[in-house]
Amino acid sequence: MAGDILFSVDELSISFGGLVAVDRVSFNLEKGAIFSIIGPNGAGKTTIFNCINGLYKPDSGVITFKGEEITGLAPHRIARKGIARTFQNIELFANMTTMENLMLGRHIHMKTGIWTGATFFRRGSRAAQDEIRHRERVERIIDLLDLQAARNQFVGALPYGTQKLVELGRALALEPELLLLDEPSAGMNSEEKQDLIFWIKDIQDELGMSILLIEHDMKMVMDISDRILAINFGKPIVEGLPEEVQKHPEVLKAYLGEDESFDSAA
Amino acid sequence: MDMKRDYYEDIQLLDSKVLWFWFIMLIAALGVFPFLSPNYYIYMANYMAINVIVTVGLNILVGYTGQISLGHAGFFAIGAYGTVLLMSYLHVPFFLALVAAAFIAAFFGFVLGLPALRLEGPYLAIATLGFGMAITQVIGRWQVFGGRMGMEAPPLTLFGVNLETDFQRYFLIIPVTFFMTWAARNLMKTRVGRAFIAIRDSDIAAETMGVNLTLYKTLSFAVSAFYTGIAGGLFAFLLGFINPSTFNFFLSIYFLAFVIVGGIGSIFGSIMGGVVMTFLLLELDKIQEISFLGIGQMLAAFSERWMTLVGLPNIASIIFGLIIILLVVFEPLGLYGFWIRTKIYWKTWPF
Amino acid sequence: MFLQLIMSGLSFGSLYALIALAMVIIYKTSEVPNFGQGEMAMISTFVAYTLLVTYQYSYAVSFVGALLFAAVLGVFLEFVFLRRAKDPNVLSLILITLGFEMVLYGLASWKWGADQRDLPFPVSDFDTVSLGPAVVSYLNIATLLITLVLMFFLFLFFKYTKVGIAMKATQQNAMAARINGIRTNRILSITWAMSSLIGAVAGILLAPIATLDPNLMLDPLLKGFSSAVLGGMTTLVGAALGGYILGIIENLFGGYVSLEFKSIVAFGIIVLVLCFKPSGLFARHYVRKV
Repeated sequence: MAGDILFSVDELSISFGGLVAVDRVSFNLEKGAIFSIIGPNGAGKTTIFNCINGLYKPDSGVITFKGEEITGLAPHRIARKGIARTFQNIELFANMTTMENLMLGRHIHMKTGIWTGATFFRRGSRAAQDEIRHRERVERIIDLLDLQAARNQFVGALPYGTQKLVELGRALALEPELLLLDEPSAGMNSEEKQDLIFWIKDIQDELGMSILLIEHDMKMVMDISDRILAINFGKPIVEGLPEEVQKHPEVLKAYLGEDESFDSAA
Repeated sequence: MDMKRDYYEDIQLLDSKVLWFWFIMLIAALGVFPFLSPNYYIYMANYMAINVIVTVGLNILVGYTGQISLGHAGFFAIGAYGTVLLMSYLHVPFFLALVAAAFIAAFFGFVLGLPALRLEGPYLAIATLGFGMAITQVIGRWQVFGGRMGMEAPPLTLFGVNLETDFQRYFLIIPVTFFMTWAARNLMKTRVGRAFIAIRDSDIAAETMGVNLTLYKTLSFAVSAFYTGIAGGLFAFLLGFINPSTFNFFLSIYFLAFVIVGGIGSIFGSIMGGVVMTFLLLELDKIQEISFLGIGQMLAAFSERWMTLVGLPNIASIIFGLIIILLVVFEPLGLYGFWIRTKIYWKTWPF
Repeated sequence: MFLQLIMSGLSFGSLYALIALAMVIIYKTSEVPNFGQGEMAMISTFVAYTLLVTYQYSYAVSFVGALLFAAVLGVFLEFVFLRRAKDPNVLSLILITLGFEMVLYGLASWKWGADQRDLPFPVSDFDTVSLGPAVVSYLNIATLLITLVLMFFLFLFFKYTKVGIAMKATQQNAMAARINGIRTNRILSITWAMSSLIGAVAGILLAPIATLDPNLMLDPLLKGFSSAVLGGMTTLVGAALGGYILGIIENLFGGYVSLEFKSIVAFGIIVLVLCFKPSGLFARHYVRKV
């Protein structure tokens, strides 16, 4: 499956006060594919994400999205290019409702400014029209993720699994071409994980988004990934198809200890 | 109220008949009030209205965007002096001068917002505090601003009518307050306001979702300063006279107190905070005159014996301080929190 | 002229440094920026005045009495109000201490009115000594010396005493300190007592050269706070240096540029420094992780 390259990372490195967190990591992501990054805790996975969406400035390396270099751009610019993400430890707007959280995801698509926003007074006003239009879009995401019950609740009070979904929904609301998911299944029970796998597939197939995934659940990773990159201590170990990565001796060693295999772990 | 039929109702100001009823009653009451009330209470109403504008404006910054400002007296001063100067020296008509002065305040807010981008907590507090102090110092020392002596407000003419009394000014101040509050409420319900709240709850998530932090943080400062500037401009005419000592550090704290008492992050709370606290401020100032249960006399006697009589009005400061502490400790949502709980209590009564 | 300005800058800088130290000690243990610090010192200074002038006690008794009062006041405020706050954020902490500020200011104004008083002091502000071209009052020298001695003891305290080390532990990780058997609540009380006491020393040293009224500490508090911010709210040495830097710069500006805008320059510097070093000159900047 030789599709177009949507996104690529080339020789990405970053260090913090002498500690090399990411060391010359490279990979390509084809349009419409699911690409997973695996590795033990502290291997530098989230740091790669933080570099991609601009929270950290990498020391060296080039990040390209849709043929355009985006290395070192401010986070909000990268969002505008069409990259959205979720966080390992939920970063929701706790004092907003689910609806409002998702509406914030529409921020870059909306037009209302200070004056029009402050002075709308009827259904036909521009700001009101803007709101109504985008609320309809958000409602579709709420339907897709089965979040109707949480629609008008403050997300701070929602259960953990639901919060994870709201965060996914907020990222979807941005209508990104590339979605970064940082351990989406952490803290979910097995039933919720099943649903999540189903949704991620849906997002890939129906919404046509490409997905970059960090995940610890090996079964899930092996199930849904098109390609996998394994890293340890910030260094790439191997990159390839799931079955290739799964068998790689160094991966087994770094991830599971000497004498185990993924089948017994999963 | 839970049965919404379309998305407009999510953001509508008055989404039920009951609310419409109360809204019309409120307008009627505000319209009739000055005809029935003694002048002092009209003056008080004007004062309250002005403080409501400040509280709403400061709440946008503190409550909604999660920044802190100990320098809003500075913006208040810029609004007051700006309006008066533009009218006295350049003969700009009142409304134009008011809006222009508020824009100047907004500009200063924007500039102050720039260092604020990188500062948090105590660092931001000291930067804004320094700004407020600097403004008072400058206007106190430059002769253009009348120096320590202050300045007199020029005659206030609007559409050919000279507004000389509190009664007349009431019909200027109340509609302006009404408009400003309504606009703030709308703003917070739509895109820009949502971005402010998002920054408060998680700035990292906000920027990865496409919110330009630099722009929106400075914007929040600017909008907040604009509100305070408008209030300051009106305040100059309420007093008829302004001097630098009015705009001191304590005024900034009072403004913060209004926000806290009313309720952080609530427009309705801001209205309550502005009204209640202005009432207290004006009444505590003449605490000796309270005849109820002989409190005034008792306090005076106590002061003579143990404290000093001249210092008695400082009770206001003590009470304000206690109110702030107790509210922050026990009711962080302020009067708005009370209001919500009472509402729930009545809805579910007798359970 | 230059040396003269430096010398009086050092003297004022000492006072700023003391207040900065007082604030940083509290900030480090509990992340509370204490806006009430100034008024706590002001009230304590009034207590010294009352003991000294109204009740005619000796200097030693009056000053020690005032310092004891300051310590008790600090413990009281922390215990009665701050400890009650559930899950406070920076804003509510700032507000609570602003509340202290208003209450104490109101109390002092009520009790002592707006009259301006002079606090007698054993060391004269008028007798001077010449140090090269600079003329310095005995009080200036005393201020500088007392501050340095106090700082030296603070240094020893944090470095070598058990309580000092426990305080440092609490500062760095309250939970871990508690698990290791340190009573963090008691540490908090001690912190507030110490901080309030240091502030009171600043108040008593300032009152003889200023006039004693409820506004005594208003400006010094802001300068002291600015010094702490300038040096970095999390470092004791930084805060003290911040005080001296601010005192000297302010004095030089007042001497050579404009006396009128002397007090504005402090804030100008703060804002400028913070633009480039958001956590102050001598503290490491901390970035939140996701």
